[in-house]
Amino acid sequence: MVSSVYIESEIRDHPRARKLLERLRNLPVVEIEHYGEVFNPRAQNFRLQKKNPAIIIARKNDGHVLAAPEGYGLGGSHNYYFSHMLNCIYDCRYCFLQGMYQSAHQILFINYEDFGERIKQLAAKHQGEAVWFYSGYDCDSLANEPMTEFTGYFIPLVASIDNAWMELRTKSTQVRSMLKLQPCERVVTAFSFTDPVSHGKLEHGVPSIAKRVDAMRRLIDAGWSVGLRFDPVVYHQDYQAAFVNLLDEIFTTVDPQKLHSVSLGSFRLTRDHFRKVARLYPEEPLFAQKMDLDNGIVSYPLEREREMIEYCEAQLMKHIPHQSYHPCEWHD
Amino acid sequence: MLIWVSALHCEAKPVIDYYRLKKSHDHNAFDLYRGDDMLCIISGVGKIASAAACAWIAARFDHEASIAWINLGVAGSGQHAIGAAFSLNQVIDADSGQRHYPVPCAGSLLPGSACLTLSQPGEDYREDTLFDMEASGFMYSVLRFSSAELTQCIKIVSDNREHKTGINRQRVSDLIHQNIETIDQQANALIALNNEIAGLAITPESWQQLIALAHFSQTQKNRLRVLWRYLMNRDTSAETVLQKLRGCSSAATIISTLELLSYQDSEGL
Repeated sequence: MVSSVYIESEIRDHPRARKLLERLRNLPVVEIEHYGEVFNPRAQNFRLQKKNPAIIIARKNDGHVLAAPEGYGLGGSHNYYFSHMLNCIYDCRYCFLQGMYQSAHQILFINYEDFGERIKQLAAKHQGEAVWFYSGYDCDSLANEPMTEFTGYFIPLVASIDNAWMELRTKSTQVRSMLKLQPCERVVTAFSFTDPVSHGKLEHGVPSIAKRVDAMRRLIDAGWSVGLRFDPVVYHQDYQAAFVNLLDEIFTTVDPQKLHSVSLGSFRLTRDHFRKVARLYPEEPLFAQKMDLDNGIVSYPLEREREMIEYCEAQLMKHIPHQSYHPCEWHD
Repeated sequence: MLIWVSALHCEAKPVIDYYRLKKSHDHNAFDLYRGDDMLCIISGVGKIASAAACAWIAARFDHEASIAWINLGVAGSGQHAIGAAFSLNQVIDADSGQRHYPVPCAGSLLPGSACLTLSQPGEDYREDTLFDMEASGFMYSVLRFSSAELTQCIKIVSDNREHKTGINRQRVSDLIHQNIETIDQQANALIALNNEIAGLAITPESWQQLIALAHFSQTQKNRLRVLWRYLMNRDTSAETVLQKLRGCSSAATIISTLELLSYQDSEGL
């Protein structure tokens, strides 16, 4: 449940801000000068805040579109990411966002046009080559769609730039606004899944697997490109049977030939994120499992990880064509 | 533990009476009242006095796993009626311009308000904020010891353009007393949040028993704390585990035994 709204005074009259305030009119509104006043102080408890986060309506002044981290993406040469939101409405225990910011409040940046200008500039810089823009790195691309109307601005923008591709990463079922738009093959909506056991224990507030599979089907039926992301694969004693069940549930409904891409990777966090999130949730079994530190990344011991990935890949390959598979490579 | 901080005795009296707090004779820097997992400190007037009282009491109770705070007092207002109660969502220090954001409890029955903290009593009534003399000092101090989610400022309007009741002590107590049920609900919500955080801490007794089993280096103690916190939050009996560990010959063996228990426990997520 969202507790309140903070809004930067300077943008109070921006049309997108006014629309948001109208939608959130039942919540107390506090005016601030800059989102950092509320988002950045150290004396915040992420765990408590996550129960009733606030929404912060703000303008992003710089760094609208950034180079994607090494290894992120689907193998393209030019990969960038951007975040119209910071933080997520869902509460997934394995997610690096829990250790990313001091605050669990959700920031909505409303100056889409500034993001759009930068996307145009970067696409022009690599003219003639595919440029990928990843959304959903610091947030869920679609989860707040009824409020943000993100797709209504960014999809037509990307569709208008010949060499621009965009991935929307989501765990939500908010596809209604996309279904009203003309499909664009250069926009890939990538749905993240974990097996049913991990989903039940670690993905708090995330819609059921069945509902998300149905959202995928509706997008595919409407002509949209859709991807699957099995990331992270989480270890537990029944992970093999649970992963098989997940694949069965997905591929009973979704035609694998119509998938743009599929990727798979095991649970991993940077050491700092792992420490932070393990301190927040000391009772969480995920952080009490046997892990190793490899080049600043905390993950399963190599042997266990290899066993998990090999097993899940083998099961996945029973369903999908090999060319659509992109493993998540993060080891040096 | 919940600590109430009020400038004046007349502001604290409704809380002292409601929770049947007893005056402590152990301390003399500030008047202090104690109850079951609850304290009330009388800071004196002004932001510096409030900050000093908070720092003093936080230092005395630094063994507490987690502390929640409520600054309770009266405020002036340009637009609200005498007796109206607010939970502050923005505190501005009039001298420095520094702003703090206490986090009102979800579902709070009290409306939110901004508050300007003045160094001197003033009658410059503004439409959009309350004004008081303590909140910024209180926030400045307690955010060193607790998070904003465990920090509340509750203000009752005692003065406005028409009426000035802040100088009448009995009237101040009455105004706060009129709101005591709502204030109690707010306090209970805060106590529930604080208990969640405090409940994650290791009890000092079990920790002392654990580290007495062997000589642990600081690095080993850090690892030990992580493992012990996990197991003690998983319905594991401290006594049963300690019994098992008594057979271990060294710090390293104790840690590997606890690791094994954690791995086994976490297999099913």
